[in-house]
Amino acid sequence: ADVTWNVSLWGKRRAFTEHVEKLAEEVSAKTDGKFEIKLQYGEALSKSRENLDGISFGAFEMAQICASYHPDKNPSLTVLELPFLGVKDLDQEIKVSMKLYEHPAVKEDLGRWNAQALMPSPMPQYNFAGKGDVPSSISDFDGMRVRALGGIGQLMESVGAVPTSVTASETYQAIDSGTVAAASFAPHAHLSFKVVEVANWWTKNLNPGTVQCPVIVNIDAYNALPDDFKAALDSSVEPALAHYLETYDKVYEKWWPELESRGVTQVEFSDAELAAFAEKAGPIQAAWVEEQSANGLPAQDILDMVKSTLAE
Amino acid sequence: MNTIDPGGRSVSERPVTYIRFDGWLAHVENAFNLFAAGAILALMLLAVLQVVGRLGFNTPVPGFIDITEQAMAIFAFAGIAYCQRVGGHIRMEIVLGRLSGRTLYICEMLGVVLIAFTVALLIWGSWYHFDRSWTIGDSTMDIRLPTWPSKLMVPVALSLLFLRLCMQIYGYARLVVNPSREAYCVPMIEGVEEHAKHEIEEAFGDDVEEGGAR
Amino acid sequence: MTPFEVGLLMTGVLLVLVVLGVRVAFAAAFTGLVGLIVLFSLKMGFSKGFFVALQMAGTIPHSKSVTYALSVLPTFILIGFLAFYAGFTKQLFEAAKRWLGWLPGGMAVGTVFSTAGFAAVSGASVATAAVFARVAIPEMLAAGYSKRLSAAVVAAGGTLASLIPPSAILVIYAILVEQSVGKLLIAGFLPGVFSALIYVGIIVAVAAWRGDAPPVGGFTWKERFESVPGTLPIIAVVAIIFCSFFFGLATPTEAGSLGAFVVLVVAFMKGMRTKQLGQALHETAKLTVMIFTLIWGVLVYVRFLGFAGLPDAFKDFIVALDYSPWVVMVCILLAYAVLGMFMDAIGMLILTLPVVYPAVMALNGGEGVSAADSAFGMSGEACSIWFGILVVKMAELCLITPPIGLNCFVVSGVRPDIPVQEVFRGCVPFFVADVLTIAGLLAFPSIITILPELMA
Ligand code: NA
Ligand code: NA
Repeated sequence: ADVTWNVSLWGKRRAFTEHVEKLAEEVSAKTDGKFEIKLQYGEALSKSRENLDGISFGAFEMAQICASYHPDKNPSLTVLELPFLGVKDLDQEIKVSMKLYEHPAVKEDLGRWNAQALMPSPMPQYNFAGKGDVPSSISDFDGMRVRALGGIGQLMESVGAVPTSVTASETYQAIDSGTVAAASFAPHAHLSFKVVEVANWWTKNLNPGTVQCPVIVNIDAYNALPDDFKAALDSSVEPALAHYLETYDKVYEKWWPELESRGVTQVEFSDAELAAFAEKAGPIQAAWVEEQSANGLPAQDILDMVKSTLAE
Repeated sequence: MNTIDPGGRSVSERPVTYIRFDGWLAHVENAFNLFAAGAILALMLLAVLQVVGRLGFNTPVPGFIDITEQAMAIFAFAGIAYCQRVGGHIRMEIVLGRLSGRTLYICEMLGVVLIAFTVALLIWGSWYHFDRSWTIGDSTMDIRLPTWPSKLMVPVALSLLFLRLCMQIYGYARLVVNPSREAYCVPMIEGVEEHAKHEIEEAFGDDVEEGGAR
Repeated sequence: MTPFEVGLLMTGVLLVLVVLGVRVAFAAAFTGLVGLIVLFSLKMGFSKGFFVALQMAGTIPHSKSVTYALSVLPTFILIGFLAFYAGFTKQLFEAAKRWLGWLPGGMAVGTVFSTAGFAAVSGASVATAAVFARVAIPEMLAAGYSKRLSAAVVAAGGTLASLIPPSAILVIYAILVEQSVGKLLIAGFLPGVFSALIYVGIIVAVAAWRGDAPPVGGFTWKERFESVPGTLPIIAVVAIIFCSFFFGLATPTEAGSLGAFVVLVVAFMKGMRTKQLGQALHETAKLTVMIFTLIWGVLVYVRFLGFAGLPDAFKDFIVALDYSPWVVMVCILLAYAVLGMFMDAIGMLILTLPVVYPAVMALNGGEGVSAADSAFGMSGEACSIWFGILVVKMAELCLITPPIGLNCFVVSGVRPDIPVQEVFRGCVPFFVADVLTIAGLLAFPSIITILPELMA
């Protein structure tokens, strides 16, 4: 290969990384193997929290990051982690993410790390799975110990829940033993952290929010690409994301039967209740705008852009 | 700095300035190790509070994992120079144990020079790491503690270690020049018996009589 | 040079440096740093590659040390340093003596059980041997036991501390191989007990044959039951730690902290003073920083290996070997036995695992393999736990073998009247017992895997 790029990833190969796999495949095919993208799993090149650092000094050319792992490294991206934005599905999340990456303030924010966003890894809503008394209304979360980070944690706190520190890999034991009653993840993570094996209920339509996990590239490395390689990379994003959505559908093909076969109660809250719950998100969004504006980000502008894109 | 016996027979010189500087450095190292020890005790008490708070009062310590992680930098690094001074970083002594005199001191000195070289580069590299979190920003996942204080701990502790290594290079160098000199302020290789003696002292503390075992 | 060749070359350099006696943590950091500089220089020229390597290496110490799972280490170490002041040893030994003294070699059997009990509060094999050398040897000698057996049983019993939870070395293993710390700790419990039982069998057999360890009788049931309350604090600590892990009531860090807190309170009640607490804390801090330095130092080297692609290559090599996986496994364990003779157990583990572990997992058929498709007849997760316990047992074996079996030197150091050769000679039956134990663990992996499987 004439050009080899390393991609820093954490964990094993899974639905969450399938678009990068596809990207590498497409790029290789389009350049007759002259542009090779090598995926390095398991934090072999960097810990997930330090992927932005590694990109900034050019240790590798591409990486996947999650904004919530280090909110103050990428404050502009955290807008899409605010609760109750009303993202309907993964297609819509791709659309709003790609639009966000074009915003000058976001470009500048990531530019401090010599990074630019290439494509999102859209994540479904972080619904709660838990063990014990099945919540039938939002008020049942009062006093419940939950594993929920960042914005979702704040949201749950606003209805009286008690956010409790538990690492992702300890969640299974924590729920089983009652250290926490419930945890919020995307379905694939509920599966891989085995939460579903101890849970007896799942909030089907709470949809409190999600996390923002883009695939980023080093700007210098990107600019140094010959034009045809650059074109090959850019044009591979679309098929890569299409492939991602396809594999994610397969996760759901496993998810629903899994819930059924384990007899997990799927809690559906009423529209009135969800509306009341969503109102709690208002102050959290306002607080975000205030804090990020103070940090010099055109926060209101970004939030408005996100909301108008979602309303389209 | 050194006073040499005019008769030229005795080698009982004492490098006074060197020993004094070693003493000062040792005070700083002890203070850093004490800081680490205090952090361990505090972490333990915080964890007890976390369990009692969670199980007893449904009020866990907010951001317990974040706090613990950031505090870990203290006991992971602060004692590093102290540990080097007392020869606590493990090594294999199968070859060194067979050497003696100048050959031994040359090997010891080169070993420390290599460590000092590595540590100097790591001070530089870890400073960059601190600097990014200071200038651009970084915080923990849950309660958003700034990470720069704990990242700063690394170059600071390594710098103290670097001073200690420089002392040891000098300490071995004066033995290389004249192997019959008395060794000061450098860990000397110990046989298995002496090693065992130290392990025993560590297990019992310094006053065995009243210690317990009752 | 290809990255792979750089990887091999620097690994050679690391081995030479370690053998020459450079402190392992820094030898590894040096090799990793220089290796990264070479790799990045090959890719982008020295003037840029040097800085990329420098910054890459500079992130590792903080990034790898500040990991929640590792925060359990100082709490375990602290428990070990405080356990002596809490006076557990004497009471455990007294109870064991009254209940088991009537057996042939009964006091030695009692010593094994009390070291096993003490192991449940101490993660340090050498310290356990030192403490029991003071408590148990005088009584055994007074009862007419030979010096050789009295000393050897203490040296061997001490090695149980690393298997029975809490154990710092098992925590390190779990984190390096990304396994559940709780499962590894629970997994050590039965093999520790199994080990102790084999020791007991050997003692009874040897004592009956040689007659150098007469039974000690004459304790009434009243005396026996009177000895029980003294062991309650230790039972409390064991219960806290075991239940926390087994039922997941607390994370390892929380369980270790609770255990340390209870031992601290008991120690103060038994007359420990603030000065002694200070000393225990100082020693804890020293050992903690040593382990953390070793971890990040070696991980600088491992990061370099990652960029060079070496672990994958070694994995492919092991898998492609023409021998049965069992033969390869036994060879790996033997290599650990040899290495353990010259190197500290923790250092040996941290240094070798990043390369050896992926190979062992691949040998079994991969991380996600099912028991039915695997080479050793167990799932990937079970294999990982099984291998961890085996490696730790190998490392412990080296504490009672010449030339530098540290436990023997420590026992001889506490009892200057017993020469170290005598201790080594006395350890021969225990060496045999350990070999039997390892064979047993190889043949019946469920001794290791059954408890962790019950957890999930
Ligand atoms: Na133990
Ligand atoms: Na050893």
